[in-house]
Amino acid sequence: MVSSTLIQRMETEIILNEEFEITGGDFINGGAASCRVKNILKEIGLAPEIIRRVAIASYEAEMNVVMYAKKGIMKLILTSDKIIIKVDDEGPGIPDIELAMQPGYSTATPEIREMGFGAGMGLPNIKKNADIFNINSTVDKGTNLEIIINLNTKND
Amino acid sequence: MTEPIYHSVKINETKCIGCVVCMKACPTKAIRIKQRKARVIAERCIDCGECLRVCPYNAITPLTTQSSDINRFKMKIALPSPVIYSQFGSEVMPYDILNALKDLGFDYAFDEALACEMVSIAIQEYLVRNPLPRPIISSTCPVVVRLIQRLFPGLVSLIIKMEPPREIAAKNLRKELSREYKIPESDLGIFHITPCPAKMVSINRPETMEKSYLDGAISIKEIYNQVMARLKKKEKKFLLHTQSQVSGIGIGWAISGGEIRGIKGDSVVSVSGVYDTIKILGDVESGKIKNIDYLECLICPDGCIGGPLTVENRFLAKSTILSLIRQFGGKNRIDTNYVRQLYEKNFFSFERDIKPKPFPPLDPNKNEAIKKLKKKEKILKNLPGINCGVCGSPDCESFAEDLVRNEQGLTVGRCVFLGESNL
Repeated sequence: MVSSTLIQRMETEIILNEEFEITGGDFINGGAASCRVKNILKEIGLAPEIIRRVAIASYEAEMNVVMYAKKGIMKLILTSDKIIIKVDDEGPGIPDIELAMQPGYSTATPEIREMGFGAGMGLPNIKKNADIFNINSTVDKGTNLEIIINLNTKND
Repeated sequence: MTEPIYHSVKINETKCIGCVVCMKACPTKAIRIKQRKARVIAERCIDCGECLRVCPYNAITPLTTQSSDINRFKMKIALPSPVIYSQFGSEVMPYDILNALKDLGFDYAFDEALACEMVSIAIQEYLVRNPLPRPIISSTCPVVVRLIQRLFPGLVSLIIKMEPPREIAAKNLRKELSREYKIPESDLGIFHITPCPAKMVSINRPETMEKSYLDGAISIKEIYNQVMARLKKKEKKFLLHTQSQVSGIGIGWAISGGEIRGIKGDSVVSVSGVYDTIKILGDVESGKIKNIDYLECLICPDGCIGGPLTVENRFLAKSTILSLIRQFGGKNRIDTNYVRQLYEKNFFSFERDIKPKPFPPLDPNKNEAIKKLKKKEKILKNLPGINCGVCGSPDCESFAEDLVRNEQGLTVGRCVFLGESNL
């Protein structure tokens, strides 16, 4: 997790802070929050390759909430030099994060796998697309993700 | 810095009365009504032709090549899209249509389906040689290419870096005919016979090469009556000719699913129609679509047979194409090794990469854009949400966006539900 002093420093330069709710088990609307994030970033005019990375990472994070948790909140925070996606959920938590980060490892039920999800690539995929990826989890309480993607500031 | 953006449709100012039909039908929200006339926002238009289909006043004209334009060339070649084989019923054979077309003033009419078959083989080769990234997206439909550049700019690198069959066929013909008849390539006029106006954009403003190998595109609608007249007159005369110059495999490219039919492996998907294409590209952008090797997207419903410049009912046209595939689709006309040799020589490759061309953001300055985004949300909350279009923007959200973009003379009073109408 980011230290509180760092958060304070960042808050001074936050230029956009939006929140979206995610409902656990709602596969019909699953993906809506990350879609909103994507469209906001397009309207602001960020570089296409940055938006693509945010789109993939936020979609994976959102679907993890849909698949495993009761509910969650996705936050989009934009500063002058980075995008921060925070996803906090109320759910079962992850007992062994190191194991969960391994490609192919999944605790998804057969039902979820039948729907084409739960291939165990979610967290590794988020990490691949993030510049900084922080994950914290408490069993029976929930999981907090922080995905940071740096902006290429020379174009702005 | 920026060259003017070219589009393949033109609004006739006399016929247009400024109704909202085209504006509402536009999938990229590229049309506004100003001073009672429809106006196209050039940066948002992808040349899909939806406006052309729906205009009740016939006020939108496709800017295709006129048949008389072919006379500026010494040798005139017709290169019809295989769609044309579906336009005159299932009894009329491709070879008869090619002959009838030639009669319209062309020196030769060639089958584009042969090039479709070649490109099918080349796609297979491309997929083997480029294991990543996935999915690879087809480059055949010029509207899909524009759509990706504009709406999904992060996906341009997924478009297959190979020219579509019409360009490959024209490239091949230009080389071979100039050699055979010993005339300069510039004396050859090669014209695509097209089911859609969008080909004019890829011919006049190619994204992937300096100059297109085609010299123009003539609408199927424009030549339909003349071809029909000749087909009727000559009835059975051509039955003696063989079908050897037509590819049954390539004919399938006229319908959705035709391009992927020739590709081995089961992780290939075909999508048609503008809204379904936008939906699936959105899913690809989010990484939701996994384990798919090749994605064929065609903007028109059911593929090119659903093009806005076709005449035949598209369901009958589809049935005719399926019947032709059954008759001629079993036999390869093209030698795989020959295609591989051409592939080695980069015969199919783009000259240059496709560039992303995203819609203009709310403001070039990021901080200003965010301010406008918030202002837009605030305005939108106060709008009625009826999406009537009377203000001249396609829906309330677009109206709010136009307001924050400071469109000249636009005020919230334009909304008939909020203030006095300025209409």
